[in-house]
Amino acid sequence: MPRNLKIILGLLAIAVVIGLISLHSLRRHIQRLAESRAAEEQARHAVLALPISTPTDVTVKAEIFWAAGPDRIAPVEVEMPLSADPVERSRQLLLALIANPPTGGQRTLPADTTLSSFYILGDGTAVADFSDAISSEMPSGILSEEMAVNSIARTLESNVPGLRRLKILIHGQEADTLAGNVDLTGFFDLNSAAAPPPARSATAVPPVAPAAPGAAH
Amino acid sequence: MIVLDPAHGGTDTGARGENGVAEKDIVLQIARAVREQLSRDAYRVLLTRNDDSNPSYDDRAALANAYRDAIFISLHVSSTGTPGTARAYYDQFSTPIPQPSVATGPGAKPAAAPPASSLAVWEQAQRPYLDTSHRLADLIQADLAQSFSGSPSASIAAPVRALRSVTEPAVAIEISSVSGSTPDALAATAGPVAAAIAHGISALRQTSSAGVK
Repeated sequence: MPRNLKIILGLLAIAVVIGLISLHSLRRHIQRLAESRAAEEQARHAVLALPISTPTDVTVKAEIFWAAGPDRIAPVEVEMPLSADPVERSRQLLLALIANPPTGGQRTLPADTTLSSFYILGDGTAVADFSDAISSEMPSGILSEEMAVNSIARTLESNVPGLRRLKILIHGQEADTLAGNVDLTGFFDLNSAAAPPPARSATAVPPVAPAAPGAAH
Repeated sequence: MIVLDPAHGGTDTGARGENGVAEKDIVLQIARAVREQLSRDAYRVLLTRNDDSNPSYDDRAALANAYRDAIFISLHVSSTGTPGTARAYYDQFSTPIPQPSVATGPGAKPAAAPPASSLAVWEQAQRPYLDTSHRLADLIQADLAQSFSGSPSASIAAPVRALRSVTEPAVAIEISSVSGSTPDALAATAGPVAAAIAHGISALRQTSSAGVK
């Protein structure tokens, strides 16, 4: 075998060995990154899922809207402490909506969803900012997305007076859709007389259609 | 002209069933079958996509808006819901919050209304067609309720992204579901869906001046 060829083969063999070692360490690095991201998500969830307690908390019967079948939502009466402050009260309610459905089948929002922030503007617009999980782990479909948005809107509407409309953000940004179908670029009406009158759709899907906030663009 | 819009496509698979069924494939299959059936009924039919592409919402709307007197039907299969049911949706917009008048002193005049314009706001182009879309959705839903047992009897208002920029009557039809139905069962829905669309459009034409060619 010519000397040059031997050198080339030797260099190639060294390159292959280096490549294999790098590949192995790269794989381990990716694995470590994924583990740390999951741990971070779990830690964040654990912190954010802690019950919110405020000095003005009073135990009341709240109405929280969860799934009541494959294609409808309905209110469930839950006795829980709620703050007099509308922002804290809303956060307490949304936390319960995400974390405490009576059964797994009644869940309307993905379990990993966290409420990153919540605030209320002067004109009665409630802004709820959720983590990516609300979109990435949401089953795609008009029905599932509409039930998710309605469960948020109706829960706020039923327990927090004075709210007029809802804006949903994902990871601090306006999202085009929740999971490919329901438009999030607009607002959802709350406590609005302009919501679709029951006669128009009550016979269709009683707990969902009349509950539909005047969602919006 | 009827513009059929098979939702999703490309890397956007839409709903996915445990058996690997993807909404984007099923709705394309259904759309092609519906087109064939409607064409037999002498309707002119156009698809917003006829392959595994994913035109933007705006491109899909623009295609429909290029035709006068078109009807836009967006086809979907859900992840959830009672298998074997179908729902027709029309678009829904929020109620604008009235802005307080700036001038509030004695003798202050109310703010002048903005000048009327024939230009439509792209993000709300569907707004003037909501009543017609609602009527069409109800007509289609009444037919779907006959064919798909357990379906609601009236259509549903929802902010469906695919509908908002369409300047024609626009309805979304969603069938349940990728998780509870076999691909064959889902493909077989094309017949009743086509019939519901044809009956709905025909009834709409009888009750309004909307001309559908």
